[in-house]
Amino acid sequence: MTTLPVTNELGYFSIRLESIGGLGANLAGKMLAEAGVLGSGLNGVNFSSYGSEKKGSPVKSFVLFGDSQTEIRSHSPIEEPDVIGVFHEALFKTTPVLSGLRTGGTVLINSSKSIEQLSQFTDLPNGKIAIINALQIAIKEKTRVNTAMLGALFRICDFLNPEDMRQTIRKTFERKNPHLVDANIKTFDRGYQEVTIHTVEDTETEKTNSFIQEQPELGYLTQEIGGIISGQGNSLLKDLASSRQGFVPALEKESCINCAACDYVCPDFCFVWEERISKRGKKRMLLKGIDYQYCKGCLKCVEACPSNALRKVKESDQAIRESQAQIAFPLIKGGE
Amino acid sequence: MKTLKEDKVLDPIVQQVTTFESGNKMAAMAAAQINYHIMGYFPITPSTEVAQYLDQMKAKGEHDIELIPADGEHGSAGICYGAALTGARVINATSANGFMYMLEQLPVQSGTRFPMVMNLVTRSISGPLDIRGDHSDLYYALNTGWIILMARTPQAVYDMNILALKIAEDSRVRLPVIVAYDGFFTSHQKRKVNYFKDKQTVQDFVGPCSTDYAFVRDPKKPVTIGAHMNGDDLLNNHYQQSEALYQAEDVFLEIAEEYRALSQRNYPLLDLYFMEDAEIALFLLNSAAETAKDVADHLRSQGIKAGVISPNIIRPFPAAAIRKSLKKVSVLLIGERADSYGAHGPNVTHEVKSALQEDRQNNTQVISRVFGLGGKDFYPDDAKQFFFEAMEAHDTNQIAKPFDYYGHYPGTTNQVLKPIIEPQHGDVFKTGLFKISEGENRNKIDVKIPSLRSLTEKPKRFTPGHGACPGCGILSGLELFFKGIEGDIVVLFQTGCAYVVTTGYPHTSHKQTMIHNLFQNGPATLSGTLEAYNKLKARGEIDISDEVTFIMITGDGGMDIGMGSAIGTSLRNHRLIMLEYDNEGYMNTGAQMSYSTPIGHLTSTSNIGRAQHGKNMHHKDTVQIMAATNMPYVFTGSEAFPGDLIKKAAKAQWYAQNIGTVYGKLLMTCPLNWRTEEQYGTKIMEAAVNSCFFPLYEIENGCTTITYNPEEKGEKIPLESWLRYMGKAKHLLKDSNKPLLSVFEKEVEKRWKKLKIMHEMDEL
Repeated sequence: MTTLPVTNELGYFSIRLESIGGLGANLAGKMLAEAGVLGSGLNGVNFSSYGSEKKGSPVKSFVLFGDSQTEIRSHSPIEEPDVIGVFHEALFKTTPVLSGLRTGGTVLINSSKSIEQLSQFTDLPNGKIAIINALQIAIKEKTRVNTAMLGALFRICDFLNPEDMRQTIRKTFERKNPHLVDANIKTFDRGYQEVTIHTVEDTETEKTNSFIQEQPELGYLTQEIGGIISGQGNSLLKDLASSRQGFVPALEKESCINCAACDYVCPDFCFVWEERISKRGKKRMLLKGIDYQYCKGCLKCVEACPSNALRKVKESDQAIRESQAQIAFPLIKGGE
Repeated sequence: MKTLKEDKVLDPIVQQVTTFESGNKMAAMAAAQINYHIMGYFPITPSTEVAQYLDQMKAKGEHDIELIPADGEHGSAGICYGAALTGARVINATSANGFMYMLEQLPVQSGTRFPMVMNLVTRSISGPLDIRGDHSDLYYALNTGWIILMARTPQAVYDMNILALKIAEDSRVRLPVIVAYDGFFTSHQKRKVNYFKDKQTVQDFVGPCSTDYAFVRDPKKPVTIGAHMNGDDLLNNHYQQSEALYQAEDVFLEIAEEYRALSQRNYPLLDLYFMEDAEIALFLLNSAAETAKDVADHLRSQGIKAGVISPNIIRPFPAAAIRKSLKKVSVLLIGERADSYGAHGPNVTHEVKSALQEDRQNNTQVISRVFGLGGKDFYPDDAKQFFFEAMEAHDTNQIAKPFDYYGHYPGTTNQVLKPIIEPQHGDVFKTGLFKISEGENRNKIDVKIPSLRSLTEKPKRFTPGHGACPGCGILSGLELFFKGIEGDIVVLFQTGCAYVVTTGYPHTSHKQTMIHNLFQNGPATLSGTLEAYNKLKARGEIDISDEVTFIMITGDGGMDIGMGSAIGTSLRNHRLIMLEYDNEGYMNTGAQMSYSTPIGHLTSTSNIGRAQHGKNMHHKDTVQIMAATNMPYVFTGSEAFPGDLIKKAAKAQWYAQNIGTVYGKLLMTCPLNWRTEEQYGTKIMEAAVNSCFFPLYEIENGCTTITYNPEEKGEKIPLESWLRYMGKAKHLLKDSNKPLLSVFEKEVEKRWKKLKIMHEMDEL
């Protein structure tokens, strides 16, 4: 009989996975829940935030466990999770990922940073912080981030049996892609073994992560009737950096022939041009740089570039600084 | 992914298995076990998975239901009705506007008394468009004459799907049945479910198909179905139908009892939770009732007599059972995920009130609340709030607001939507770099375009920050087309990826006017806008000297369901451009096949397995269909050939401004669903063109010109070289799929050869 370490007043132990579409958090949530329900005999529910979210936009996956006698009736997103799994550290900038974390709960973060670097990067809550470099493992093993994250999650949720997961991996791949079985089991095991768990105690400030039910930007007094938007083009306020998965294009201006091939294939309109007047008085367009606020890292531009001025590089603050330019929108002064 | 342990046997007599699955999966599972004859369907979120799961199972040979992908929901309802006329077993699944689109057909089905089962995965209906769950679609079903069962959990979805068919076919009923369950909440949330291990158990329970009715099945017994009537006869027909529907209550109870004995699961008319002595109660349809039960537990522990009522069936409406359950209730709050605008309360409020009206002893006060529209979550705190409102009314014996919305939010005055960029129009989008002249050949115009580099000075029509997937071919392709369009545009986007990713309220990535309409009606809508604009201008009511180009943008899905509207618009020859971005599938709803998906390609409704090898028909030649309307200009284009595309855009604008309707098709890579690497998007397009799968050509005043001939350029590649790039098509390169590949190659070659002949002969 599996016993849950802690439960809330309704008898639930809950996990919330914070991720980006395409990293496989949805599947990870399902597998985690399946292992609990069908493997360990718990009762459980798994669901995700649903919508038209495309690959690259923030998604959440929820897992609720109860003991086999507890009927799980809740249908709403998890407000106060015992475990939060953050699949991409860029989410800290865009989403209140730690919202509602229970006292004594655990936060798992996919990051290459150390605990010290992380606590400088973001405001960590008191409690247990688990770190796993899932991206590195996935790149090394040629697998996916979610399998490494699952390994770490099984370590944290020690009431689950990791062997159930290994068996699921075998079942999933052995028929169609037998060559992937070992790599995935290795990824899972590495996640399980390599996760480091730290205790953060910050006695000076009492930090709470009470759940915030977010209100929409506009209400019934402020929405224009009919759902009409009169302020065009306002998606330019968004930051899409969290859509990237480790790589960006870098521009080497010396090799650029300003042919515009990159500009025509870029789905995210990131290329910044400036007008110069040549010695003969002719107008010439020159490529100035890349606006990384919008770059999702698809690298189509790298393929399109005939002069190797655009290259695929590992994303780093420095790489971005070197090629960054800002699109000059015709902003209204005093606007948002 | 398979379930972990599939052999958890529950009952020694009738074996059941425990699994962990969603409502959609369980609907599909029940349908597969029943092994219906026919499913006619059209994908719409969140019901589409039912067809997807059935297709997956079919590919594995687990059932042999004929799955027919219709050209729209209206078509799917037609397929289902037609199939039901033979006495075959028929199933469908839909949601929201899909349901609205087939609405016309539903009373036909019930009025002529042909049983079938439809899963209505409830979702908000447009507009504004919202793909998440509420009951606004369900409320349109109330007057269709169909029986409506309500399934609160994935378990109930499975069970009700089995009950539904047996009720529908019962000789006392003979009516179609809807099984309604909450979009996303029940359709997608995975929960513990038990199902019968042996499909024979299910088939024995539903019994054999009835054969003793007037059907289209035996030429020896010819029948007329659907004769028209006058009022005398129609009233009698409807009386029969009304009686049959009321009869369904007893039949439901009978069949549910039989099912209880088999499954150990009980479905009374009403699901009553602590209603024996409840003083205050909530009346909720489907999943919200489950959340409320948790809260009722909590309130009970504090000594508050709280209860929850949720009906398992709403057509027929279980009025007597409701009266009985409310005898001692002081205050009932009815929460509804839809409104009947202007009626002082949504439909269920009125039906419950009317049920109570017949009990002169009843003193229950009713509060009505509209909540949780468009998938807005219903948290335990919300249920608590409902109970508190009921409690207050109980304590004070008065109700401040009998009907209201719940959860609406006024907003804050310091947070309003302000324009952030100067309006972009007119000269901003005019480079003056294009040279267009009527050529020597009177049938053709000449266009000279500037260099790609110099066109970078032209601002983009989209702002960045849209939500398309990394590497999406649509946005770059459309923007490239817009490069060739000078001056102002009004665009209409039919529902599809490009619409969804560029207009998530309160954000928009459009700099100029953008209209959305549902994707069977965009061309008609924009022709209305255009003609009204022209009329206003002609009467001097708007004073704009510049020409505006009207462009209707659609995916290939929109050209399936909206073909009629597109053809009608071209035949009327409105001066607008219809631009199709073809990514070979319904990518916005999860990569289902479209008619433009090539043969053998993998989609979520054309799976690969031992019994099935991807899509079973050729890709639709939309360009030739549209050309047959004899509109002045038709073209194809691709981002891999930017100069060619920009030139065609400029021509398209000229024709739309001077002559009439233009149609163009752009092929686009969808890295997510084509299973390709994002960075190779443009290369894949190049290969599609060079393999002659997607020839670049135009038809100007009836004359066909191939604008890029890979053979002449020495660039022609075999079809395989294109297919190789794509995870959705790679299997076609296997030896075992040689015959299929060859069929595909022949079709591509046939169309290409035809095109070359047309290119040679102006008359063709």
